[in-house]
Amino acid sequence: MNVAEAGAAAAPVPAPRVGVQFDRPDRRYAAEQELAVRYDVAGIEPAAVRALERSVVWYTEGKGEEDLGVHRFERLEGAARLAEALPGGTIAVRLPASPLSYEGVVVKIRWCVRVRLFFASGRDFVSEHVFDLGTVPPARGAVERTA
Amino acid sequence: MTGTAGRPVGNPFSTRHVRPGALPALDSRGRPRDVAALLARLDAVGGSAALVGTHGSGKTTLLLHLAAALEAGGRRVERVRLRTVADWAPLAGAAWRCARGGTVCIDSWERLGRLPALLVAWAARRVGARLLVTAHRPGPLPTLLECATSPALVTALVARLPRGDAALVPGAADVDAVFRAAAGNVREALFLLYDRHEVRRRGPAAPAAGVRS
Repeated sequence: MNVAEAGAAAAPVPAPRVGVQFDRPDRRYAAEQELAVRYDVAGIEPAAVRALERSVVWYTEGKGEEDLGVHRFERLEGAARLAEALPGGTIAVRLPASPLSYEGVVVKIRWCVRVRLFFASGRDFVSEHVFDLGTVPPARGAVERTA
Repeated sequence: MTGTAGRPVGNPFSTRHVRPGALPALDSRGRPRDVAALLARLDAVGGSAALVGTHGSGKTTLLLHLAAALEAGGRRVERVRLRTVADWAPLAGAAWRCARGGTVCIDSWERLGRLPALLVAWAARRVGARLLVTAHRPGPLPTLLECATSPALVTALVARLPRGDAALVPGAADVDAVFRAAAGNVREALFLLYDRHEVRRRGPAAPAAGVRS
């Protein structure tokens, strides 16, 4: 789990906990390298889950429009398939050559493993776990505008 | 209802945190808008009205909150963001779908131009569709609210954004400075706070290398 939480479920029920273990503890991957993760879901009643999505995506973040790319996506529904995915499972994928992770001033590119749970109640829960693709150095300085 | 965990906060002033749909609707003193009272007033003026204010005064944010409240009340709502007068076609379709009591929420109504705007208002009345629009100046529709800004509003918005590194949270002097620099445009002020956050996190940029002649 990453250090910060971007939000929390507003429902009074306790939030699920999704732990992800990367095969590289530093979470740094080279372009076109294999990524393998093991995830575990806790704090849920498996029978209450209607579907689970596991994906590997990149997204941009910054001052402009946001962009998102899906590199790997899998949706599991039905008791038999969910039994393979809960309470834990694996995601293995060969990463692409680009876009590489980038910590820019105006725009940042982040890669993450995403596990999304859909509950029979209609509620859903997303857990994202960031990793780095490539070794592009971060932008060093920022120029502050005054107007 | 979606719960989210794991994504780093990053820069709290990035688009995903400060886009109109993500920000609360606050008044110029930083207090939450009374959406129910505004909807009652909208009904009282006949169902069609304008949210008026300068750039970055919170019109679009309020429009989105009012649209969501109308939908939650079981009313049909269509959202249209106008970029040019050429967007009249999707607008006409939205008005048709909102016939007999639905509401078309139109952002940047003035981009339609005066005559097309009058035609759309007339056509909407004919089919029984209501219009809730944003505009920079009062126009043919009744003004539901004039949006205004202040440093207190920016302060209240900043307090509601996710917290990253406590050392990087802007103080009152930062808010006053960006509010002045942005001439009261809250959207621009939040982008200036984005820049300040990046500068403090990384340190200032080195001067660009140049060639002396």
